[in-house]
Amino acid sequence: MSAPNYEPIIGRYVTIEVAGRSYRVYVEEAGQGQPVICFHTAGADSRQWRHIMNDAEMTTNYRFIAPDMPWHGKSLPPEGFEEEEYLLTTEVYVETVLKLVEALGLENPIYAGCSMGGRIALQLALNNPEPFKGFIAIEASDFQPAWYDIDWFHRPDAHGGEMGAALVSANIAPQGPKAERWNTQWMFMQSGPGVFRGDLNFYTKDDSLVGKLGGIDTSGKPLHIMVGTYDMTCTPEDAKRTADQIPGATLAVMEGIGHFPMSENPATFRPHFIEALAKMG
Amino acid sequence: MTSDLRDRFEDMGRELAAKPHLLRLGALFSETVLIEIDGNEYYLAFHRGELERVTEGPSRQTPWRFAIRTDAEALAKFWEPVPEPTFHDIFGFVKTGRGRIEGDILLLVKNLRFFKEFMALGRQEEATA
Repeated sequence: MSAPNYEPIIGRYVTIEVAGRSYRVYVEEAGQGQPVICFHTAGADSRQWRHIMNDAEMTTNYRFIAPDMPWHGKSLPPEGFEEEEYLLTTEVYVETVLKLVEALGLENPIYAGCSMGGRIALQLALNNPEPFKGFIAIEASDFQPAWYDIDWFHRPDAHGGEMGAALVSANIAPQGPKAERWNTQWMFMQSGPGVFRGDLNFYTKDDSLVGKLGGIDTSGKPLHIMVGTYDMTCTPEDAKRTADQIPGATLAVMEGIGHFPMSENPATFRPHFIEALAKMG
Repeated sequence: MTSDLRDRFEDMGRELAAKPHLLRLGALFSETVLIEIDGNEYYLAFHRGELERVTEGPSRQTPWRFAIRTDAEALAKFWEPVPEPTFHDIFGFVKTGRGRIEGDILLLVKNLRFFKEFMALGRQEEATA
């Protein structure tokens, strides 16, 4: 009998306390060396990072850690969720990231996050930079009001996941491999009821960074912003507007990519991400 | 030009009829959609996911549930095999001000995958399905 041809990714669970509540969080990791904690977009989970985590070359020098945020993927919602309206807030998100870094014993990790994970990169860089070596903010901007009705995605008479997937397909570039474009949408289709809406509540309403980005100090903590040309939610103009407000921030515009770079088109994203990691020093 | 577009929509209807997964997705979709291109109206009547007929306007008597209004150049760009950014999705018309989506938008959203894939059938090669 031959040994199983396992991927190098391993998954484990850790329990953290955020805002006085206990959360069982699923965390995947792969690789060795400099830790990089990777956060997924709204309405999805850590599977968005699987191509990076299965990359034999990058995992030689980097240890990638990708949690499923509470309520997402294999992480459970908190006790009492059944009577609760899930609405993500900046405060809970920031505390979740900081508690995970602490619980996992990560020393000087690079933070990488996409979409709402990119927004939190900016929040952390401004208000809580201490634990981190640097920040990679993907499809990230200071503020994005909704160009859709977020209540579409949590209704008793329709499947929020299927509608959410069909909407976010507007943010996926046609150049990606068909299988990966659909895998990207599958995560939205699987998302728990109301979770995408609750994430968007944070992403489309929190304008707390507006006018404050100039306070980010990139001198010792690099901040690199990445954006795909097909992203209609955080457009290249949105990302440039954001980068222009942060002294020392760098910006990469990725051709032929949308809002989910690491998931929808791994081969095109790869060199951009290698470049981003190199910028972290 | 206007009849050419009607022919195009009818061709798309024939392609739709040959795609079982789209007929399954559209099984509950029996509505009339208005597509208005440069002011020319096309009423697409669907029944259980099949495109039953395409009627040209103008008409003030034909009820429709939602409408997509844009221009011929934008639609031609949308139908390129690999559309450029913002022309790759019907919501791009709205986001960039090149078009409008009106009417019962929630009904569109409930049938969004079906309708987007139907609209993409006009592409020379499948690029976004």
